[in-house]
Amino acid sequence: MIPQYSRIFRWHVLRHLRRHPLLGLLNILSVALGVAVYLATQIANQSANRAFAATVEMVAGKAELEITPAGGKLPETAFPLVAGTAGISAATPILRGLVTLPDFPGEYLEVIGIDVFTNEPFRTFDPRDFGKAGFDIQQWLGVPNSLAVSEEFVTQHGLKAGDKIRARVNLVDHELQVGFILRNEEALDSHFAAMDIGWAQELFGRRGELSAIHLRVANPRAREAAAGELRKVLPKEVRVAAPARRTEEVDKMLGAFQLNLTAMSLVSLFVGMFLIYNTVSASVVRRHREIGILRSLGVTRKEVRALFLGEALALGLVGSCLGLAGGLFLAQFLVGAVAGTLSSLYVLVSVREVALKPLTFLVAGMAGLISVIVSAWLPAQAAANMPPVRALHRGAQLEKSISPSRAWLALGLFSLLFAIALSFLALSPGPPWLGFGGAFFVLTGFSFLVPRLTSHFSAGAANFFRVLRRRRRKAAVEPELAAANLSRALLRNSTTIASLAIAVAMTVGVSVMVFSFRKTVETWINATLVADLFIGPADNQIAGPTSFMPPAAIQFLAGQPAVATVDTFRGMALPMGDSTIALAVVSGGERRNFQFLSGSDPRDMRRFHDEACVLVSESFARRHRLRNGEAIELPTPEGARKFPIAGIFYDYSRDQGIVYMSERTFVRFWRDDRVNSVAVYLKQNASGEAVSDAFRAQFSRDAQFVIYSNKSLRTRIFKIFDQTFAVTYVLLTIAVFVAVSGIFLALTTLITERTRELAVFRAIGGSAAQVRKLLLWETGMIGVLASSIGLASGICLALVLTGVINRAFFGWTIRLAFPWTSLALTPLWIIAAAVVAAMFPAWRAGQLVLTEGLRDE
Amino acid sequence: MKYLRLLLLVVFAAAVAGADWKKAEPGWQYQFPRDHHAHGDFKTEWWYFTGNLFDAEGRRFGYELTFFRHGIRPPAARDPAASRFIVNDLKFAHFALSDVSGKRFRFEQKTSRGAFGEAGFDDGKRLAWIDNWTLTENGDNAFDLTAATKEGTIHLHLVGTKPPVAHGENGISVKGASGGPASHYYSIPRMATTGEIFVDGTARAVRGESWFDHEWSTSQLAEDQVGWDWLCVQWEDGSELMLYQMRLENGQPDPSSSGTWIAPNGAATHLRGTDFQMTPIAFWKSKANGARYPIGWRVTLPGRQTEFTVGAALEDQELTLGPITYWEGAIDANGTRGGKPIKGRGYLELTGYAVGFREMLKR
Repeated sequence: MIPQYSRIFRWHVLRHLRRHPLLGLLNILSVALGVAVYLATQIANQSANRAFAATVEMVAGKAELEITPAGGKLPETAFPLVAGTAGISAATPILRGLVTLPDFPGEYLEVIGIDVFTNEPFRTFDPRDFGKAGFDIQQWLGVPNSLAVSEEFVTQHGLKAGDKIRARVNLVDHELQVGFILRNEEALDSHFAAMDIGWAQELFGRRGELSAIHLRVANPRAREAAAGELRKVLPKEVRVAAPARRTEEVDKMLGAFQLNLTAMSLVSLFVGMFLIYNTVSASVVRRHREIGILRSLGVTRKEVRALFLGEALALGLVGSCLGLAGGLFLAQFLVGAVAGTLSSLYVLVSVREVALKPLTFLVAGMAGLISVIVSAWLPAQAAANMPPVRALHRGAQLEKSISPSRAWLALGLFSLLFAIALSFLALSPGPPWLGFGGAFFVLTGFSFLVPRLTSHFSAGAANFFRVLRRRRRKAAVEPELAAANLSRALLRNSTTIASLAIAVAMTVGVSVMVFSFRKTVETWINATLVADLFIGPADNQIAGPTSFMPPAAIQFLAGQPAVATVDTFRGMALPMGDSTIALAVVSGGERRNFQFLSGSDPRDMRRFHDEACVLVSESFARRHRLRNGEAIELPTPEGARKFPIAGIFYDYSRDQGIVYMSERTFVRFWRDDRVNSVAVYLKQNASGEAVSDAFRAQFSRDAQFVIYSNKSLRTRIFKIFDQTFAVTYVLLTIAVFVAVSGIFLALTTLITERTRELAVFRAIGGSAAQVRKLLLWETGMIGVLASSIGLASGICLALVLTGVINRAFFGWTIRLAFPWTSLALTPLWIIAAAVVAAMFPAWRAGQLVLTEGLRDE
Repeated sequence: MKYLRLLLLVVFAAAVAGADWKKAEPGWQYQFPRDHHAHGDFKTEWWYFTGNLFDAEGRRFGYELTFFRHGIRPPAARDPAASRFIVNDLKFAHFALSDVSGKRFRFEQKTSRGAFGEAGFDDGKRLAWIDNWTLTENGDNAFDLTAATKEGTIHLHLVGTKPPVAHGENGISVKGASGGPASHYYSIPRMATTGEIFVDGTARAVRGESWFDHEWSTSQLAEDQVGWDWLCVQWEDGSELMLYQMRLENGQPDPSSSGTWIAPNGAATHLRGTDFQMTPIAFWKSKANGARYPIGWRVTLPGRQTEFTVGAALEDQELTLGPITYWEGAIDANGTRGGKPIKGRGYLELTGYAVGFREMLKR
């Protein structure tokens, strides 16, 4: 069969493709786009994860266990204790910290203090002298703040050996001497620097403290036993775990965001499937005679099916390959965008290398091919089942006028019910990804309803125009004909409408979701962000809450005549059980309006300030399945302690959730009253400008602090918000593009297969202009149907996205809000796009040669 | 051990000698026990013990235990309140055990940051220590030495049978012709040694004689020097001899090479480079790095009618530690003085053969 198959394939498929290159091209393009978008998203996600894992690996090196401070501090005196513990073969102390570089605005370095005497078994990088392989230990140990940086950092900033750079730590500038280059087998992150641990302790003002102790165990299989031994000798509040845990934790944290991005990236592929279905069925229809000939020559049904599947696969293969290349290209842009979003929302990652896993490419390619086979299967099956005699009849009805069976309706309604069930399941008990099932079945359900809706519409519209024509003599006949035509090629028209509707639904769903989210955040900010000025060290914007407000600065602000009160804020990460949580310590806060889920009660706030309790955000409560009155266990420097939850409040600052503690409570247990930023409330009619100018003159001459007015902070928050959804919009736009090319394609095929019918129309007196009008009316109606169904299903989809997916994944409540204007405009531009797409095919239809079309009559 | 190799290189880099460190100047008055202790104002310092020991069955052992101090930060720059991880002195030590009868040579190097007191100098009792390698002062001109490795352990008590002897002239030992590099350098040339060696699973009581060198300076090698040959011999007649020659890049000995002759009564005579000649007569090639060490020498001191040869008690006594791979081992000496036969035992040190110090620095 093989040689025969390839001969027929050449004759049947390739010749056809040569004649209709546009069809093939569109097919290829839709697969390519779908694959490209999916691949690029995967690459961006993986690159971000890989970048984070790389920093962990870089620092933790070959450590099998890691001791980190939990809650409090890790005293350096733990080190000799640990090094001498049974089962430990090597131990090395680490001190990490971030510095910002005032000489290179916006830049930071993560400085790792290392001990070259003990880190030999752990080392993943080598500090080396500039230009040679030596290592001047005299300088490394003896010259204060002697720093090793990456080759890339040196090149970026044109540095040479011995250059001094300014580094800002907690608002104070220090001079670091670039003395060494970090060498490593792989390229190093340029934000990575190393110095001797002694000088690092001095630089960060952390004498007596360590960030971590890395360990190797004598027997890797007895790692847990060794960890147990360590826990016996160590203070309770430190944590002993494998360093890989940190990577897992971050992967988990980013998981929800990345999964959503992946889901979004699959939309193009999904929409593309409708398009492929359309083209393959078009080519089946177009070649019905050929199929008849082949079948009468003894070609089996299976072989016919194989021919059409083969064609689709061939196109899919080309498309997938193009898609892989395109994805690689697209990834270059997406990687930065995704990393930027992740950095502003979750952890500081800087992606220098695009992660290219062969498996990712394989999966993306396979996804393209599978989507092609799935979407080509039905038309190929139809071709195989075509009786030869009927197929040979040139004038035969091209597509059986199928009536929208009850089965479709039932399937549609069942899908919608299933979507509802999945949505409830996703919310509880989970898992959250069932929510995507809910979204999928909303779209599928509406797609199954399309044929019935189309036929109803067709009948209704035809009637309407008929009545209209009878009432007003002059009214044209085209609208009526066009409406009737919609139900004639019902299956294909339905497919076209469904694919366009899905694209519309996605756009509508996501826009409504983002709009609702934005509105919700706006309301929340209006209620909670009430201070007039927000002041904090500028470094914290780059490096996270690492710098602190000098007490003198707070006193200065509080002493200003224009200032009513000053609230303080401290952010930190705390381990809780297996995860790391965000803790916010606040003082004042009488004016900080927490929006409690259970409604606001002043007693809750009093309790919060007076008792050792916490407030937790909605996401936090959901993530950890906590209720009001329950307690969470936090590691204080004096050991773990339970803090009851005094209230659960709405918060949209982080999907991991956040725990608020009053400063009084925090200082009582942690004995640490440093604060990261302050919120300043002004007296009535006082000028914020005057206060910030005075502050700037006194403390921030070198721009150590950022000062936000209420308004500018809001602007900044929404800038980050919009940036987060920027990628989403790009993915959507591509999906819509695929859908609109679907219309173009559908119309081209529609016209081709209706050659005879149009010729008859011409023969009985229809003008070329009327043909064009007829076709434009048809597409206009397709646009109307697609946009109305799209709007309806889009709103349902928005319900799933906001109420189910966001809630299940991120744990926050989004109040539904509708961007009415843009929703109202949606049908207009969809109909316009459809009509524009139809113009060229319609013009061609007008040029039809009558005799050719009527040869068989 | 890549790092350690590089780490130790620096000790021999004369160029880094800073102005903040005290230099060895003429006129130093040696005082004991004061000068047994560390001299933190100087950049480099070492306590060097070598000896030949025998157990009850006459099995012969040689040992070397050396503690090095290399100043990183001069005393004026040190801040006692600063991070304990800041290194003011590099601390490292070499331990070698020559099992002459068993024809085995074992050696190890240790270094430590000493942030938690696990290594240091001069804490009142201990003169120097790294983990469980210790040098402790225990009486007048008497010390206890301990060093333990997986392969062997020593616990030794040393008592000087002669007083300390200062080398060089006018309190300094000059190491270069130009007069620049110099050190303060004294020895206790003969120390009665008793104790225990634990090796091959057996503890053996040993006794014998040791030589103690203590040297401190701020600059050591001159620019054109590539290494040195050093030897000490404890003669059976109660006298001792120490000789060293600095070798130049051109293969010739530096004219400033010198030595000390110590009479049985302890009287020391300074020997200039012109007072003696050292000629290699036997060589051993290292399998590890191909270096060719002159492990046999003919030595003549015409002015003292003395002529003798030295030979290694064991050929392979090379410490391939890197970067300071060197040969240091037990030797036997035989010859004549004034026509009468003399016999002795001692130690020979050969440096700069595996790789010249300058080349090492350049790499």
